[in-house]
Amino acid sequence: MKGLVSLFIGVFGTFAFSWVGLTVIPNLQIGALNPQMDEEGTDIYPAPKSGMADRGRRIYAANGCIYCHSQQIRPDYAAADIDRVRDAGPSPRPKWAERRSAPRDYIFERPVVLGQERMGPDLANVGKAGPTEEEKPAVAPAANAPAGSPANVALPKPASGNAPPAPVQPAAANPSPAASASPNPNGLPPAYSAAWHHRHLYSPRSMSPDNRDSTMPAYKFLYEKQPISGERSADALQLTGPEAPPPGWEVVPTYDAKCLVAYLMSLDQSHPLKEVKTAAGAAPPAASPPAASAASPPAAPPKK
Amino acid sequence: MTPTADIPLKEPVISAAAGDAEQLERARIDASTRVPVLMFYASAMVWLLIGTLLAGFVSFKLHSPDWLSDVSFLTWGRLRPVHMNVMIYGWASMAAMGTAIWLMARLCRTTLRHPLLIVAGIWFWNIGVLAGVTGILMGYSTGYDWLEFPPYAAVILFVAYALIISWAVLMFRFRRGDQIYITQWYLLAAFLWFPWLYAAAQAMLFVVPVQGVMQAAVGWWYANNLLFLWLGAIALGTAYYMIPKVIGRPVYSYHLATIGFWTYALFSSWTGMQRLVDGPFPAWMITASIAATILTIIPVATVGLNHHMTMQGYFPVMRYSPTLRFTVFGAMSYTVFSIVGILISLRSTARYLHFTEASTAYTHLGLYAFFTMIMFGSMYYIVPRLVGREWRYATLIKLHFWASAYGIGLMTLMLLVGGFVQGASQNDPSLPFIESAGSVLPYLRGRTLAALLLTASHFIFAFHFGLMLFGLGRTSTVPTFLNPIEAEGSEAHL
Repeated sequence: MKGLVSLFIGVFGTFAFSWVGLTVIPNLQIGALNPQMDEEGTDIYPAPKSGMADRGRRIYAANGCIYCHSQQIRPDYAAADIDRVRDAGPSPRPKWAERRSAPRDYIFERPVVLGQERMGPDLANVGKAGPTEEEKPAVAPAANAPAGSPANVALPKPASGNAPPAPVQPAAANPSPAASASPNPNGLPPAYSAAWHHRHLYSPRSMSPDNRDSTMPAYKFLYEKQPISGERSADALQLTGPEAPPPGWEVVPTYDAKCLVAYLMSLDQSHPLKEVKTAAGAAPPAASPPAASAASPPAAPPKK
Repeated sequence: MTPTADIPLKEPVISAAAGDAEQLERARIDASTRVPVLMFYASAMVWLLIGTLLAGFVSFKLHSPDWLSDVSFLTWGRLRPVHMNVMIYGWASMAAMGTAIWLMARLCRTTLRHPLLIVAGIWFWNIGVLAGVTGILMGYSTGYDWLEFPPYAAVILFVAYALIISWAVLMFRFRRGDQIYITQWYLLAAFLWFPWLYAAAQAMLFVVPVQGVMQAAVGWWYANNLLFLWLGAIALGTAYYMIPKVIGRPVYSYHLATIGFWTYALFSSWTGMQRLVDGPFPAWMITASIAATILTIIPVATVGLNHHMTMQGYFPVMRYSPTLRFTVFGAMSYTVFSIVGILISLRSTARYLHFTEASTAYTHLGLYAFFTMIMFGSMYYIVPRLVGREWRYATLIKLHFWASAYGIGLMTLMLLVGGFVQGASQNDPSLPFIESAGSVLPYLRGRTLAALLLTASHFIFAFHFGLMLFGLGRTSTVPTFLNPIEAEGSEAHL
């Protein structure tokens, strides 16, 4: 009997110590962050994602993208994340990031998909790697509901108003892959555009000769093969080679695929944060790092 | 084939005078646990086979991604969490609970009350795992590691757990004798830690979700503590019982055991955040976990030393006793697992090994080489006492052991070396990223080979277990030895 009480106290005590130390106290420190805004109350970052992109994150999590793709950039003193460029894209290739990730980047994420392994590249800024605003194909209003597409069945939920800043609709959340943007010489859509993402999800190893080693599974079940009735659907994938559907048929994204691509296109941590130093030499567009950040060492925990 | 006096493979006789009464009492206790524990083991075996086949799929698909990829529920990203959750909640937790309940009954010297309620709990637990697995396959995974089951499955698991463990804890209340053995500490602690851990993680992720990156912190805190404080604690408790029991010698030092237990509880529970090294977190969290990981060398050293000193002079017994061979392998793997854990958590190595397959190697060292091998050992000990038959084929046990040992060894090696190669090219920004994915491919193929070995080993064990379950074991009073006792002598190689 001796020692039984101390056994119970110890068992509870050690565990409570760990629970408080690793979840409760950090939650007090970084568990209630607000978006950052400038003095005028504009330029709010981050903002909650649109309904489609939000649904896309659930599809991202449910299909296990998290097991191969991270969404966190380590600081430059810890790893080569910031020095890295993407494998595709126009020269100069888009960088992985200009700065490390900070807790504030994720305040609207649920589930948060930081990732644990990199069989594939980091995606924290993949939405920014796409064609710049002017090159992006205009959002075709009709592309949202192509005839016969399951998109008709499940309309996007309107973005819920539970968060203070207005939701941003990613500029190319729902573009028509067949639209204007001029394809690359090799017949591919512009790298990291929505059309490119769709084709990459449908057939990852068809993208370019140096992508043969990719071990990404094809997500063909997110797409539908259907006979062309009258006009070719505006959002049909442009496929070549063995992947191309037989004549008279086309491959169109399901609503889930569109949400997933809308989510990928929305991933962007390029907005400067006060608590994080942005990479020297590569000034972020339209905003130099605030003076305050230079004073704080990069290793310092983000302040509330 | 009778054991010689100096190699006490039979249970040591506690008191010569009361010998018969003791045996009778033990038989009565074993009989009371018979149905629930065998049901635990049978369920665990089924999940183990399912999980093993899934592991093969997952491993193969990682280097041959176009295989069976066009069906939504066969996509790699859904099969992988199904594999992990089947192994953790189906195989590991059920085997652990079966062994723990049997050990608790034996050590409390009391019969198991209300075994039928535990049987109901086992059914619920199986339904919970099945519901969770179906949820993931249908595309409702939550996206948190080891917590991918949709929340409704967690509710079922919780009800099942309450049905099962309340009776195990109650046994402690009705224990006879005032000595509490070290194994009981570990088991009792694990019984209390798991529900708290599971409830805290569920509450902080799904009921009152924490904001942003804190979800990842809670997730890794849960996953690591599940490994250490639930599965690891039961495995260590089992090793503390099996090793002295089989060789018939008391634990070397009770003081060391006490130190080992408390430092284990204190330091292991603080690890986990090193999986988020240099991520978007306050640096102190990561540093605290790395420090705690380094400090786990204290429980590792004390527990390892204690087992080693207990075994001192009795290592040749591993040549004969299946239980001892598996258990000692597992106990030694605990040391290897912890040292690998320390090495890969240091910031200087994490630079190369974070985000690579090395973390998969670490997880499998813990869940397989350490935990699962000890569970195999305990099943070799407990099942004959429940079915009244001895294991039929020594050859099958040997095959099981070597296929498992070589399988997990090969897998760890492939993933650690592959992880380093992968990380080295990831960390060289002049190389295209695809190089790092390509560089690890040969190692992933090697891992598939390891998965084949493990598959063979588990099917052999399942077959043997099935024979026992259907009463086809040997009828004998002598346990099955791996090698004939007469052959004992110079060629002892363990």
